[in-house]
Amino acid sequence: MPSENRIKILPKAVVCEESSLRGDITFSSGCVVHPSATVIADAGPIIIGENCIIEEYATVAHRLEPGAVWDVNNILSIGTHNVFEVGCQVEAAKIGDKNVFESKCYVGPGVTVSSGCVVGAGIKIHGSQRLPENTIVYGEQGLQREAIDKQGSQTLQIDFLRKVLPNYHHLRKPNYDPKKARSVV
Amino acid sequence: MEIPDTYYSKDEYVETASGNKVSRHTVLCGSQNIILNGKVIVQSGAIIRGDLANVRTGRYCVIGKNSVIRPPYKQFSKGIAFFPMHVGEHVFVGEGAVVSAATIGSYVYIGKNAIIGRRCVLKDCCAIEDGAVLPPETTVSSYMRYTARGTIEGGQGNPYFVPAAMQDEMINYTKSFYEHFVRAPAPAS
Repeated sequence: MPSENRIKILPKAVVCEESSLRGDITFSSGCVVHPSATVIADAGPIIIGENCIIEEYATVAHRLEPGAVWDVNNILSIGTHNVFEVGCQVEAAKIGDKNVFESKCYVGPGVTVSSGCVVGAGIKIHGSQRLPENTIVYGEQGLQREAIDKQGSQTLQIDFLRKVLPNYHHLRKPNYDPKKARSVV
Repeated sequence: MEIPDTYYSKDEYVETASGNKVSRHTVLCGSQNIILNGKVIVQSGAIIRGDLANVRTGRYCVIGKNSVIRPPYKQFSKGIAFFPMHVGEHVFVGEGAVVSAATIGSYVYIGKNAIIGRRCVLKDCCAIEDGAVLPPETTVSSYMRYTARGTIEGGQGNPYFVPAAMQDEMINYTKSFYEHFVRAPAPAS
């Protein structure tokens, strides 16, 4: 793992200073990271897509397997419009778009999450498996079925949070502007 | 029931004029929007999101370790709104609970690691078991018990799912919790 944290925050992302971030992490524009959220990139870089919300005590981790070392090419890519609710712990191998991880759920390493999935509150998913598109994981036994309705979009919530959070929190400043980076090259 | 004394170090907790004991290791966002009405204990690691909306708690509440109190939101056709959250008196919130209720009555017991979904209504004297998950917009009425299996039990005819004297029990419990939550005596030097 590289000795220092390399955190890239694109313009319009709202990342609270009280969040704990470790490793090489890229936040695309429109992301909202609440205070006390944790993102750990031990095994390789994490790239978080646009308009994701990471709430308090949520943990998104890209952990080292036993014996493995930091690998720049081992990227955990997280798609757009994902919501990580309070206290969830997500260590999935790959995450698509428009997923919701509800409070205190656990998604183990080896799980591939496609798009439009909802993991219900308090549910634990272990082992190596792939959640097909629009899967809902629900109930005590963690039953799976396909969603009938489409998930509502979270853009309204993001708009609200982007307005409110800067009034109450110290934010990490956006430090990477793709337009400027291009003009330099 | 007598509760053994719990000690805290002088450096860890702040005691306000109205008797609130608030740990320094909490995240109280938007503290101007949080009203603790006196004799409230907020233990370390708890998060109260006053920045999203007002949060008001009555007297003798206990907010356990690593719990999250987060005002609920509702989505409308244009924009979303966070609603203010009211918590009654003598309410116990267990460790690691996530509470997004709209209102919580008085004398309510919320167990450890319970998840109270968005805009739930918990009436007076109800109990939520450890690890229970309440879906959004659930109402738990008075003297009912929400189990970890996801059922609501109690009601007329079978009143033994919460203690019959729930109100007095919660008053005693939260009061004695407050009185036995004391500062560690200074080490004799």
